[in-house]
Amino acid sequence: MHEILYQQDNPYMPERARIVRKYDLTRDVRFFQVRLCNPDKVFPVTSTYSPGQFMMISLPYVGEAPFSITSTPSRPGLFEFCIRKVGRLTSRLFELEENDFIWLRGPFGNGFPVESMIGKDLLFVAGGLGAAPLRSLLLYALDNRDLFGKLFYLHGARTPADMLFREEFFQLKQRKDFQCYLTVDQDPEGNWPFDKGVVTSLFKYVKVNPKNTAAVVCGPPVMYKYVVQEFIKLGIPDANIYMTLERKMKCGMGKCGQCVVGHKYVCVDGPVFTLWDVKNIKGLI
Amino acid sequence: MSKPRIGIYGLTGCAGDQLNILNCEDELLKLFDIFEIKSFVMASSAADEESPLDVAFVEGSVSTEKDLEHLKEIRKKSRLLVAIGHCAVFGGVQSMFTGKKWEETYRAVYGKKDAVSLTRPLPPKPLSAYVKVDAVLPGCPIEKEPFLKLAGLLAKGVVPRHPDFPVCAECKWKENECLLLKGEICLGPLTNSGCGAICPSLNIPCIGCWGPIEKENWEAEAFLLKENGFSVEEVVKRFAIFGGEERAEKLKKFLEGKEG
Amino acid sequence: MRLFKIKKSNLFPFLRGLEGFGELWGPVRKGEKVVYARAKPEEFDLKALRTMIPAKKFLLPPKFTSLKFRESRWEDDYRPKRKVVFGLHPCGIHALNIYHRFYTRLYSDPYYERAKEATLIVGLSCVPDEYCFCYATGTSTVNEGFDLFLTDLGDRLLVWVGSPKGEESLKLVGKYLEDVEQKDISDYVAWRKRRDAAFKLKVDLDGMPEIVSFSYDSPVWEKMGKACLSCGTCTMVCPTCTCFDLEDEYDLKRDEMHRQRFWYSCVFREYSMVAGGHNFREARSERLKLWYTHKLVGFMSEYGAPACVGCSRCVVSCPVGINVVSVVRALRNERTAALWTKMEVSDA
Repeated sequence: MHEILYQQDNPYMPERARIVRKYDLTRDVRFFQVRLCNPDKVFPVTSTYSPGQFMMISLPYVGEAPFSITSTPSRPGLFEFCIRKVGRLTSRLFELEENDFIWLRGPFGNGFPVESMIGKDLLFVAGGLGAAPLRSLLLYALDNRDLFGKLFYLHGARTPADMLFREEFFQLKQRKDFQCYLTVDQDPEGNWPFDKGVVTSLFKYVKVNPKNTAAVVCGPPVMYKYVVQEFIKLGIPDANIYMTLERKMKCGMGKCGQCVVGHKYVCVDGPVFTLWDVKNIKGLI
Repeated sequence: MSKPRIGIYGLTGCAGDQLNILNCEDELLKLFDIFEIKSFVMASSAADEESPLDVAFVEGSVSTEKDLEHLKEIRKKSRLLVAIGHCAVFGGVQSMFTGKKWEETYRAVYGKKDAVSLTRPLPPKPLSAYVKVDAVLPGCPIEKEPFLKLAGLLAKGVVPRHPDFPVCAECKWKENECLLLKGEICLGPLTNSGCGAICPSLNIPCIGCWGPIEKENWEAEAFLLKENGFSVEEVVKRFAIFGGEERAEKLKKFLEGKEG
Repeated sequence: MRLFKIKKSNLFPFLRGLEGFGELWGPVRKGEKVVYARAKPEEFDLKALRTMIPAKKFLLPPKFTSLKFRESRWEDDYRPKRKVVFGLHPCGIHALNIYHRFYTRLYSDPYYERAKEATLIVGLSCVPDEYCFCYATGTSTVNEGFDLFLTDLGDRLLVWVGSPKGEESLKLVGKYLEDVEQKDISDYVAWRKRRDAAFKLKVDLDGMPEIVSFSYDSPVWEKMGKACLSCGTCTMVCPTCTCFDLEDEYDLKRDEMHRQRFWYSCVFREYSMVAGGHNFREARSERLKLWYTHKLVGFMSEYGAPACVGCSRCVVSCPVGINVVSVVRALRNERTAALWTKMEVSDA
């Protein structure tokens, strides 16, 4: 009896999941679609989550690390991740095949405040792997299109080959209720049909009501400063500018301390922060 | 799944690391069980040097041309190469700082004339100076428990990661009195953990046999030891054993600069 | 609060009686230091002030197996032994209260909870030495967080009952308990006055959150970073430090993977380093700044009190004298003779 309770009550206990689908998004980023083996599991892993939350992916013998969920809760049952091969855990993940098992804990983190975004124009700016958490919120907004105002999505990548979800965005660009702009820094093969240049160059297309806009940015650390300047230029208030941050995390529950910044634990107080938070908590970015 | 094929090799060193593998008496059978041991000359002269290896464990430093050739051969046939012991990871006591150039030291020991030698000597260096090293297990000699953990992970197909934090952590977990505070030359703060703070637990100051942690603050340690009344010679001598030439030389300059 | 007294001569039998709850642990001398160890009551050092490692080790040990992975299944068989921990002082109990709030907030930590349930905390009064500064952190007296608390009045000890678990444990030692009289209370008040007058170390923590926050760019951190050995001792000995790391180890003999959980430190280089090698706090000074922000600012804004309980373990443990007292003084521009302030900042 006690045994069972202990097993269930332990939020450190990973839940088994099966890799349903995987394919390469770029040279070093792979897409994984996974399904929990026990879909009735209620705590700590639930089958629902908010866009912007993350999961701890656990592989025995190697360890655990946090990964943004890139799928949307409006398409339940599956969790999707885009994973770049950078370390031991991700290298191991890349060795796995479809139908192999991985283990999950979560979902963790505050996620985007979706409810307070309802009725607002949404402006997304993604750079590189930053597209992963933003895709979750974007797909959520597209699935609930009538809840939101105008929808702008700006996405920059180094080259066309580095652009995550390239084909998906090519298709989404066809939608009339959604403004999607893609840009690349370089186009070595010379067949890129869209904009070239840094992601901030896409701001010329943006037409939102700044007082009623939620702006969201995610990308490499160097990108934030420039993108935030553009948001401010548009007149979007600090409290409506959201960014999602990366940190080292071992627990996801505000315990291990490794993601701490000042007195905030990025894993529970974040990973989504507003520009107001960033201005007030030294060291966030 | 077929058993991973491994080989255990020694270059220039005391063979103490290989000996400690043999000393894993209780677990030795388990090791033979999970691995297919292709070459372990210290244990058996029946070695198969032809077949490729999943993992090669190599102890000892590269100190001769023959060592270097041997190392390159091992590297070529092995998927993973693991440096075991201080000599293989950092160069060992043979690369200690003597205050002289290597050639001078060599001549002082072996005489001015070329000694009769089967191979040309080289300044002793760790494996990583010549080939890619996939994982390391420091220690002089390596310890049984850390070796078994490392071997186990390798058997599971995982490349082990050596954590990077100082001996002091493990020392505090064991609630030892701090030997630095007691006025000894203890290199705990600069030395990588994993040994379980064996020496400080026996009241013996750490001499650094697990090698330095990354970005160690040797300046602060040197400053502290100087404040505690130790001479430049005493400090340099302790640092020199396992610290490698470059570090000890910098340390000496640092201390002398401060004194002068 | 329920209050009894026992004769001093009955202290050892009283503690032996409590062994009915679990193993008896208390402060025992080890060389020049004191550690919590399993021992007979006669071996306890009743005058001991600070053990080298605080009582947090009973609630989350320095290193333990948190999960096992065996035959493709995860297992959690962590079962801490039942222990009576004797000899915690008010500062130590305050630290456990901080520990409790921290580990049970949001997601309650199951390992902590199990150990907490299995531990009977028996506090003991103390008289400060030249390092104690718990009066400055407001932790020199304690009203909750213990199961039993003993105040030593010389020939007798007052026994305060702080929890249902403590009340229950008194059934084991009922025969030693006596009712308290008016004189015991007046003697206690007099003892408190004497004790409060005995503090020698002056530390001014007034306004520290603001001072630390506005010293974000102070050169003090840089200087401290030069002298910091990054040995992690401060965090290991601090009773309110909670950080840990996890590492998977393989037990060859049993063919199981053990997910080891062990005390970690924000002063270690890899603390804020993510896969791929980016380090959010590359400089030692940044890591130290985090530690002091966390101690003196972070908890203030969350719980209204600093995460320092004035035990002075950092003061007696840091080889280069980086500790709450010297750092607070340096940030207040007060004089401090700490060793780290003497290290010249070279360009090396």
